[in-house]
Amino acid sequence: MTALAQDDITLLELVDRVLNKGVVLAGDITLSVADVDLVYVGLRVLLASAGTLDRLANEGAAA
Amino acid sequence: MSASATQTALYVYGVVALRDVPSLEQDPAVEIVQEDALAAITRVVSLDEYGEDTLRENLNDREWLEENARAHEDVLLAVAAVADVVPFRFGTICRTADDVRALLAEQRDALTAGLERIRGCVELGVKLWADRDRVEAALAPQEPAAESGRAYLEARRNEQRRAADIQAMCNEVARGAYDRLLRLAVAGVVNRPQPRELTGRTEDMLLNAAFLVTAGDRSIAEEVERLDRELRDLGFSVEVTGPWPAHNFVAAEGEAE
Repeated sequence: MTALAQDDITLLELVDRVLNKGVVLAGDITLSVADVDLVYVGLRVLLASAGTLDRLANEGAAA
Repeated sequence: MSASATQTALYVYGVVALRDVPSLEQDPAVEIVQEDALAAITRVVSLDEYGEDTLRENLNDREWLEENARAHEDVLLAVAAVADVVPFRFGTICRTADDVRALLAEQRDALTAGLERIRGCVELGVKLWADRDRVEAALAPQEPAAESGRAYLEARRNEQRRAADIQAMCNEVARGAYDRLLRLAVAGVVNRPQPRELTGRTEDMLLNAAFLVTAGDRSIAEEVERLDRELRDLGFSVEVTGPWPAHNFVAAEGEAE
């Protein structure tokens, strides 16, 4: 398996927090955040860089 | 100005108490939008970049994601250094300052409660990892190779028992570590462990926790070091990250988190 470099682990930590946590204000007033499954998108990008995109796509579909 | 009004929007990083605004070191790109006793930390962004469709595309661009996720965090960290801040999720966009004010008014109680909850605190991340082979080796010596059919069955049963024992031990160690750390924290949450596909590590992540602690309090970090020393020979390791803004402790009311 392609291991993520140290920088990537930090990025994973970051994405896990920044895209997955924090206050979500969905509604008419906000434009973007409500509508995008950020976690899935963000993690998919990280995975793609680790060369295992297909596997996540499958797991995501099954989840 | 009027032409840009249709193409720009405000990116909202988070919210602070209005009384804390004077202590913020003003990044010239950052704008404060206030409403009552609350103030939003915002930046003007282009809808070419942050419009709904383009955001979706940009999120699939690893470089863009990395750069902007870090920028989001950097702004929050700079604010968190001098004020309590309720972090918003990445990509919270309002069309105008009036919309931001409406948002602050609408969410005033929840945001005020969030600020209260995290006052004077930071977040630490703690992960517990298990090297399954080493855990197994530490738990029980390898059985000798089976020579007869009966011995084979016996060995299989032992193997299954051992696997169950390892799992039980992992669960127990993870729960014990979390409980010990929680005692030292203001609050704690357990998140789903990240899969190996994402971590790229050979160890399994057993615990993915976050703790809210008083800023400057070293007791969690010290306990993590102690746990790591105690558990290392058994095949476990414990790591701490942060301090982070309190991303894990500001979920609005009604959210499952």
